[in-house]
Amino acid sequence: MASRLSFLRSALPVAAALIGLLLLWQLGAMLFDVPTYILPRPGAIVATAIEKAGLLGSGLWITSVEAVLGFFVGTLIGLAAAVLMILAPPLEVALIPLVIVINSVPSIAFVPLVLIWFGLGIGSKVAIGALAVSFVVLLNALAGLKRPEADAINLMRSFGASRLGILWRLQLPAAMPSIVTGLRVGLARSTIAVIVAEMMGAYAGIGQIIYQSTAQVDYLTVWAAVFVASLGSLVLYGVLVAIDRKLVWWR
Amino acid sequence: MSGSPNALRRVLANPFAAIVIVALAWWIAVPLFKIEPRFLPPISVVFADGMSVWRDLAAGLWRTLLETVLGFLAGAILGIAFGVGFAYLRFLERAFFPIFVALQTVPVIAFGAIVVIWFGNTIMAKVVIALYLAFFPVAVNTLRGLETTDPQRIALMKSFGASGLQLFLKLALPTALPSIMIGLKLGISLSLAGAIVGEWFGDTVGLGVMLLQSLYFEQIPRVWVLIVACGALGTVLYGFLALIERRFVWWRPD
Repeated sequence: MASRLSFLRSALPVAAALIGLLLLWQLGAMLFDVPTYILPRPGAIVATAIEKAGLLGSGLWITSVEAVLGFFVGTLIGLAAAVLMILAPPLEVALIPLVIVINSVPSIAFVPLVLIWFGLGIGSKVAIGALAVSFVVLLNALAGLKRPEADAINLMRSFGASRLGILWRLQLPAAMPSIVTGLRVGLARSTIAVIVAEMMGAYAGIGQIIYQSTAQVDYLTVWAAVFVASLGSLVLYGVLVAIDRKLVWWR
Repeated sequence: MSGSPNALRRVLANPFAAIVIVALAWWIAVPLFKIEPRFLPPISVVFADGMSVWRDLAAGLWRTLLETVLGFLAGAILGIAFGVGFAYLRFLERAFFPIFVALQTVPVIAFGAIVVIWFGNTIMAKVVIALYLAFFPVAVNTLRGLETTDPQRIALMKSFGASGLQLFLKLALPTALPSIMIGLKLGISLSLAGAIVGEWFGDTVGLGVMLLQSLYFEQIPRVWVLIVACGALGTVLYGFLALIERRFVWWRPD
């Protein structure tokens, strides 16, 4: 009961603000008779989204699959590389310059390259999503895994813990908050990278719909697609926040 | 652990050393492993290609830098202002902060076409996209930083008769600055990405324009020239912020 009340108390102002903003937008657009190509009314955007639900839905599905696949592949690569570097420090010394240099390039600059390498299908989008995620996860995981002090590691070793045991029981839990931060930054980057890649060259997906509708001067569909894409990334973000609470409950 | 591996590690983690090492590795690895030019052309080819268009490259670098910096500055100022506003007007924070978090996930880049309609095909359109992208991380991190201010210290300063402005300037702001710097560093790289993509919606000068052209003509060495140029720009901008941080915001919140 209490938690329900507190949920209501935090949700109410947000709902009020949201409705207020939308009303302001709708009324303002009607009052000043803003042409649709400059700023469509929220009602018209939602109507378009419903009308083209089939097209937008299938586009969103493809984009989500690409973004989630890229996110998982990138996370796995980033975590595996971080663990390998912790277990074999010379590897870290050898590879860290490459990581720093590649990480300093905005991931969207690699979009033309992955399109040329992997073609216009799903492969190139997964690759760019993975690229956008893996380096953030790698750097955050590396920093997190190094957090436990040498004293704590030596203590566990003196009790006969193996290298992997220390990693699993001490270093990984300590690294969790930092890894989750990396995941959150990475998720936002990978969705953007995937949509950008779709805009530059794809057969399907939200980015491709946006690109086509822009070319056809169909701005209502552009807005509807952005609206649907935002709902999609909001859901992804919510899932990640929930995972964060589950994984890092001890904070 | 002796000193030398750590010292070696520190040298290797230095960005400038990293660039030199990666360039050397590139130079050696391509002929050694017979990497196809389709994947990675020899560094000499990329360098020659870069030199052959150095005028366009310099103009593009300058334009993209200008868009990024203008958008970033405006976004950072707005972001800090909103963060402070949220921290002191709790009802605003309650009502609007969750919406901000949601808006942050909007793939703004998709708005590129619409922004170009609003502002015309001017530098303004790219500045606005860069602004929007820099704004959210700065606002969110400013608020988070201000929220960590220790209430006991506030009480202590109040008991000595500190005014609201003094509390803000001497306690809350210094506490929040490390967090604000994190937001700024996130924001600057997003601004750069926004400026590059913003140029795709119709412009003639800029790194993003050149990137798009190199994709159309499948000029792989040119793509690599631009990757290096974007990376250099990103590193310089980020490095500048990191330098400011090390100089002026060297303390850490406890």
